[in-house]
Amino acid sequence: MSYRVGIDIGGTFTDFALLKNDEVILFKNLSTPQDRSIGVMNGLAKLAEMEGLSSGDFLARCEAIVHGTTVADNTLIEMNGAVTGLLTTEGFRDEIAIRRGFKESIWDVRTPPPPEITPRRRRLTVPERILFDGSIYQELDEEAVRAACHRFAKQGVESVAISLLFSFVNPAHEKRVAEIVAEELPGVEISMSHEVLPRAPEYDRTSTTVVNAYVAPRVFSYLEKLVERLKDGGYANSLMVMQASGGVMTKEYIENAPIRVLASGPAGGVIGSAHVGSAKGYPNLLCIDMGGTSYDISLVLDGVAPAESRWNLHHRYVVGIPMVKVETLGAGGGSICHVHNGMLQVGPSSAGSEPGPICYGRGGTKPTITDALVMLGILSADAEFAGGSFSLSSKGVPEAFKEIGDELGASPEEVAFDSWRVVNATMSQGVRRITAGKGVDPNELVMLAYGGNGPVFAAIQAEDLGIRRVLVPKASPTFSALGTLVANPTIEEERSYIVPVDQIDEDRLKTLWQALEERARDYFTRGNFPAAQVTAKYQVNIRYPGQNWPLTFEVNLVEGAFDTSFLDGSIRDKALELFNARHMHEYGHIREGEMPEMTGVRLVSYVETPSPMAGSGFTAARSKPEAASQRRANLGKGFQDVSIYRGADLTPGCEIAAPAIIEESFTTIVVYPGWKAVMDDAGDYELSPA
Amino acid sequence: MSYEMNRKLAAKRAPLPTSANVDPVTAGIIRGAMETICFESCEYLARAASSAIINQSNERNASIVDAHGRLAACSIGTPHLTFVSQMPVRYGLEMYKEFEWGPGDVFVGNDPDHGGGHLPDYVVYGPVFDESGELIYISALQAHQGDTGGKDPGGFTLEATDIFTEGLAIPCLKLVHRGQKRMDSIRLLERNNRFPSFHGDLAAMIGGVQLAQRLMGDLLKKWGPDKVKAAINTNIDQTERLFRQEVSRWKDGSYEADVYIDHDTQGTKDILVHVTCTIKGDQLTVDLTGTDDRPELIGVWNTFGNTRSYIMTQVASSIDPVIDKNEGLFNAVEMIIPEGSIVQPPPNKPAALGSFHPACEVTEAVCVALSQVVPERSTFQGYKMGMPNAVIGFENGQMWMDQGVDVRVMDASAVQDIDGWGGMCAALGNLLLSQAEDAESRFPVINLQRQMVTDKGGAGQWRGMPGTLNVKKVLKPCTAMTWMVSREHPLTGLRGGEDACRYENRYLVGTEDEFEVERSALVQLPAGAVMAYQNGGGSGFGPATQRDPQAVREDVLDELVSIEAARDHYGVVFTGTVEDYDLAVDVAATEALRKDMARQLENA
Repeated sequence: MSYRVGIDIGGTFTDFALLKNDEVILFKNLSTPQDRSIGVMNGLAKLAEMEGLSSGDFLARCEAIVHGTTVADNTLIEMNGAVTGLLTTEGFRDEIAIRRGFKESIWDVRTPPPPEITPRRRRLTVPERILFDGSIYQELDEEAVRAACHRFAKQGVESVAISLLFSFVNPAHEKRVAEIVAEELPGVEISMSHEVLPRAPEYDRTSTTVVNAYVAPRVFSYLEKLVERLKDGGYANSLMVMQASGGVMTKEYIENAPIRVLASGPAGGVIGSAHVGSAKGYPNLLCIDMGGTSYDISLVLDGVAPAESRWNLHHRYVVGIPMVKVETLGAGGGSICHVHNGMLQVGPSSAGSEPGPICYGRGGTKPTITDALVMLGILSADAEFAGGSFSLSSKGVPEAFKEIGDELGASPEEVAFDSWRVVNATMSQGVRRITAGKGVDPNELVMLAYGGNGPVFAAIQAEDLGIRRVLVPKASPTFSALGTLVANPTIEEERSYIVPVDQIDEDRLKTLWQALEERARDYFTRGNFPAAQVTAKYQVNIRYPGQNWPLTFEVNLVEGAFDTSFLDGSIRDKALELFNARHMHEYGHIREGEMPEMTGVRLVSYVETPSPMAGSGFTAARSKPEAASQRRANLGKGFQDVSIYRGADLTPGCEIAAPAIIEESFTTIVVYPGWKAVMDDAGDYELSPA
Repeated sequence: MSYEMNRKLAAKRAPLPTSANVDPVTAGIIRGAMETICFESCEYLARAASSAIINQSNERNASIVDAHGRLAACSIGTPHLTFVSQMPVRYGLEMYKEFEWGPGDVFVGNDPDHGGGHLPDYVVYGPVFDESGELIYISALQAHQGDTGGKDPGGFTLEATDIFTEGLAIPCLKLVHRGQKRMDSIRLLERNNRFPSFHGDLAAMIGGVQLAQRLMGDLLKKWGPDKVKAAINTNIDQTERLFRQEVSRWKDGSYEADVYIDHDTQGTKDILVHVTCTIKGDQLTVDLTGTDDRPELIGVWNTFGNTRSYIMTQVASSIDPVIDKNEGLFNAVEMIIPEGSIVQPPPNKPAALGSFHPACEVTEAVCVALSQVVPERSTFQGYKMGMPNAVIGFENGQMWMDQGVDVRVMDASAVQDIDGWGGMCAALGNLLLSQAEDAESRFPVINLQRQMVTDKGGAGQWRGMPGTLNVKKVLKPCTAMTWMVSREHPLTGLRGGEDACRYENRYLVGTEDEFEVERSALVQLPAGAVMAYQNGGGSGFGPATQRDPQAVREDVLDELVSIEAARDHYGVVFTGTVEDYDLAVDVAATEALRKDMARQLENA
């Protein structure tokens, strides 16, 4: 028996998904914030025990341990990364501070500046200049690099970002600067922009490189420690790490650009969703994850969670590497309901988990969405909450809503109901903005809801968005861990090549792709993935001149090898034809008489690894179970008697009619009037209009 | 096309007729849905357009105007564009019958004498009707076009004395009739534009409006027309009420400000914008009486629509940012804009440059006046740069133009408690400035420098961000064009803060023929010529000698402020050096110097 283990570390829980043959076992234990690798090892020991093995035996039988980490995210939240220096081309010291002029709020003149990773004293420049075609306009002044290093040394710089103009076309100067920095400042981490994000324009690349440099030492030391503990424990293979792009890769590869792990946790959740959705025959999903502080929205199209490398803003910094797009709204169970300027508002401030909503009984005094749900009878003080770890209490809740109601001239129940409506609308509009950005109509999607509060709102939002099917998988509390198991080892890289499509030089194209193949082959080989198992997608970025964002599409797919023999002289025509089709599909027109330009080539290569089977189907005989109890609740149509079911009592085939509430250990599923819920063969819920 | 027309277009409009009522929460939900539609159509435009100014610089905006021509909702974009968007639509509404409005129609307008901002700002709009055929609301999309078919590429002609020099003026032209594109109209517009990419930009604007029309139709079906109308009325009323609530907390009185523009494009000097902001109870009146009206001025005529919009941009930045931006703001502010002055010119005046100046000086004057009552939200929401250095050349019969909307720090000013930061004011925060790596891949130019220069920001208790020096070399012979202002009259400091530094622009740098552009330039540059544009930076807020000496120390370490300026402007004395990072405030010397400076100030 061999095992694969997926691990996802969250703020409160560390989740495990263990795959043995076709079976998947899910498990949670508490995180250990001081040294998170301890929580990982504790959990692994628990899994070993469950399998009746010693830890050593268990780890020795693990074929792969796949890990999603929030260490980069935490570094940015806490702003406690490395003392970072930035070296740029002379004359371009301040791009990172100017941010292309961008400010987050056009109406609020009191928005503070972002916290600085590289204050100006640690942004130094060196005389040198490379032009757009890669030619050298001004030689590198090596003495100036050494002088800058001395200034960094005096400031205790631990990590250096190097971002020179047009380095993505010709990296010679960046490489030489890195050599000198390594000589002058032995032991500092070095991030080169042409490696971290090899594309224009300079602000996006510089910002990404600076964030990479800032998080690198913490990510490295964390992964080192974990690898060491696993090795000591008996694990013999490479540690695989989840990337924000939705693929996993070896620790050795991640070390090129540790920023790739930023936001990888939510990406894992989306990958897990895609897997479950596909197994049930729903390849197009709207995934919503509503927890205590936020509402995360993402899309799965054709069974794939698309990664984007545009302006991903994280903690007020642009991060241009490919990321599974997860949009976050500040609407969660802890969002505070309050009156501002005579209007009822929900959020953006949150009571978090400590003290949390009033109904947690931990000293919270401000009414939240969770409290509103208690007022509406959707959550109950009688039921267990958060897996039975504590119970809710309505003490102080009506009084808090009364206070707001007095200000607005409404009853406490009305305020709670309006809060529920406001948060619903905020979420629906957030969804619409995202589907619009993709040119997708929400009513073509199936909603997959998870998180403690996702299934509470799912069906009512689905109705609002014209969606006719909602999935609530039982495994959803550990989706991110499951996602790391499902994700394939993937390398996704690009190189810049700016040229009109009718002037593409195929030889140059071949050289660029072969260099990317070489890198990928090398890392896969070192991770013990034979090249014969690789699937390679050859992609190009093409746009009309002047367009900000190119369209990315595949020109060839090869299974089982890297192979550029498809370059047979026809690439110009093929690229043009594919581009026209894509542009027509995305924007509804093409520009006659304008020649599009290629901006770069990409290679996405991956190896398929075993995934857990996800269950589906409705073969179990239908039954209409008895409700465990009744309660007064307002499910959008006024207070009425609502049937309450315990999730643990339900079996495949159970059909629940509205109005009803199903209390699961980690979530609450509301069957709104006009809907019904059915449990499928896998024990997952599917909601649809009755 | 007259003052009477302006009065008609600006007149306060009645609520939409409906007997329905909606509660404020429902009204808010419908507003959110309308904003999302605006966002979606803007997104469509940004993704599909090809000209850099639309998709690179994001100079675009979407709004929804109701059947009475009131601003009902708006999205991302810039406030300067948002607040003028209802005016050209109102002209179209005036001609409802004559122009045969109907479902599926899409129109365009850009004429300053018919509500427009300036010619490059095309407003493309399309009405949405309910099932009974009643017009409910109109989707409007604005974007800055790279050319307008006038004498000079880009639409900016320094010596223009009439609008016709600047290009094709369109009061209202139908582009789509009942869902069918009118290719005769579209070809006419394409023919009057130098850029081949205009074809795609126009298609993108039409597509964006049509998308919004479809979504706005869905919204009507979902809520019913009466609820939507009632929601628009409720939202507009609510904004007016909340705005007036804020104003009623401001101190009653009349607050005046004078702001000067160095000169017009032909050298007539010291052009005045005068404002009196009067607060009485909950009524704010912005009166521009006293503003320059010399008929001989060239190039400094701001359109009526833009004057209203630029006043509102500054006013809207002075209130609680959560108040919705809609017609309620205009209902709450009385504007007195003298006819025949540079802020409401006679018909047929050129308009392109006036949308920079005096438009921005209107904003600045309102800012200075209001800083006396609402200092915590007063900071300038405009730009003091005249015109960037645009360079234009021809290659293989095709024109290329680098408009010079480059990354820079300009006028990023302080506000009480917060130093100036970023590149520009908040209101322009959506405009993404052009990057060297994009520009140089397309145009024969090299950007040699664009970083901040020590001491080029206004000192203050909270300081302005220092302006950048933008140095550019052209690699091929070309025409360069610019207009300099704020070289003599820089951006005003607030509440005792120092003014920003002066703009300075030099051509043919490093050659025997090097010169400073004092007024304007339209010159042929040889290959290899270098231009250097020093931007003004932000102004300061509050007296510099009240700045925390430790904050000054940080600024000196960051080379934003020199040791000399720390002493002369801030009264802060240090021991140690910047080079060794051991700089320390000499507390005794600083106290003594600051006392001395206070005495000198008193004596003066």
